[in-house]
Amino acid sequence: MQSLSIISVNIWDILISFANLAILTWIVKKFLFKPVKKVLDTRRESIDSAYARADEAEARAEEHRLNYEAAMAAAKQTADQMISEAAREAERRGNEIENEARAQARDIRSQAEADAQLERKKAEKDMKREIADVSVQLTGKLLEREMKPEDHRELIDSFLQELDGE
Amino acid sequence: MTEQKRGRDARFRLTDGLLIALMILPLVGCIVLKVLFTPESEGVDISGAMVFLRLPAPGQELIISESQVNSWAIMLTLLGLCLYLTHGLTEKAETKRQLIAEWIVEKCEGLVQANMGERFAGYSYLIAAIMGLSALSSLSCLIGLFAPTGDVNVTAGWAILVFCLVTWTKLQGGILNYLKGFMEPIPVFTPMNFISEFSLPVSMAFRHYGNVMSGAVISALISTALKGLSRLLLGALPVIGEIPLLGIGLPAILSIYFDVFSGLMQAFIFAMLTMLNVSGSFPQEAWEKRQRKKAARKQRVAAAGA
Repeated sequence: MQSLSIISVNIWDILISFANLAILTWIVKKFLFKPVKKVLDTRRESIDSAYARADEAEARAEEHRLNYEAAMAAAKQTADQMISEAAREAERRGNEIENEARAQARDIRSQAEADAQLERKKAEKDMKREIADVSVQLTGKLLEREMKPEDHRELIDSFLQELDGE
Repeated sequence: MTEQKRGRDARFRLTDGLLIALMILPLVGCIVLKVLFTPESEGVDISGAMVFLRLPAPGQELIISESQVNSWAIMLTLLGLCLYLTHGLTEKAETKRQLIAEWIVEKCEGLVQANMGERFAGYSYLIAAIMGLSALSSLSCLIGLFAPTGDVNVTAGWAILVFCLVTWTKLQGGILNYLKGFMEPIPVFTPMNFISEFSLPVSMAFRHYGNVMSGAVISALISTALKGLSRLLLGALPVIGEIPLLGIGLPAILSIYFDVFSGLMQAFIFAMLTMLNVSGSFPQEAWEKRQRKKAARKQRVAAAGA
């Protein structure tokens, strides 16, 4: 089998080589780049959609969180309001009850004072009468002189009135 | 369900096996061919590719030599490799081979993007093909084949393809601009511009061919020299004399440089020169100017139509 010399230009061999490279370029394009790029594209798409979904979910979660916080704040406010209202109400009721009790006590006391006054006045009156009677008898006995009881009483009453006047 | 899955798995593995066979068998066939056809020879034998077939053709004989056959085998191997790497691609990249395939694609696209720009993105296929074909061709001498890149016809074919692409890219700027480009900076330079224009494919072809061929020649010379030296020194010894002991080691180390490093380097250089020449033939500024001009003309036409 003979060999070519080390440099031998053959136009057909050059053409064959030209075609070889062209065909190989087509092969590489068709069987390596196309499928790989297709896969890369689908991966990029799925990653993009995953990111979009993640963003959406995050936004939704944030929204939920805000809603929840707002609801919590509202609930807290309501509770505070209720508590303070209840406290105010309780205070008001307490004051009311206290005032009522105080008024009642005052009433009772003034009633009692009035009663006592009345009682004392009655006692005083009785005592006066007693004293008058006793004085009449005493003076009668002492003076031993007849005196009309009416005159006598009149005298003593005036005396007592003077006493009261003092 | 599992039965179906097992069936699918079996089919998947069978396809894998066939694709691996497609990768390996062409090269094995070439080795067999080489072994069958290599004549017994003694001493230094530095020659081109073996001729398998001579066919009559207009102008010149059509010669089917080792370099053509090996090129086809390497193309089949690359086809098998492409199919194997892209077999069973999934969105989640579950297999190592998918990572390799994606790495190749992304690297090639990145390289083309970096050196040629966005508008030449379609050249990534050609660059990938040049790198794969050139590297595998140069490396094929590691398994004892004749490296197709050691044949000037092969690299000339590629260089002419690149030259055609360069010219085609230049013609995108209009035929008049293309012709005017030869007369720059002054008309006197026209012959020199012609020479420089046509020296591009020649230089590209001979650079690649020369590097690979010279490596092969040096490797052959050194291994023959070492064989002779060991026969001279150890030939008198009974059994050891039969074995070229000095041939162990040094040729392998030289082969790492001349075959592996130089082969890969030349593949990269060829791809790089392709990118630079094509993108340099129609610079970005000129392209943008032309785009603006086109847009303006379109607008004028639209205005006239309205």
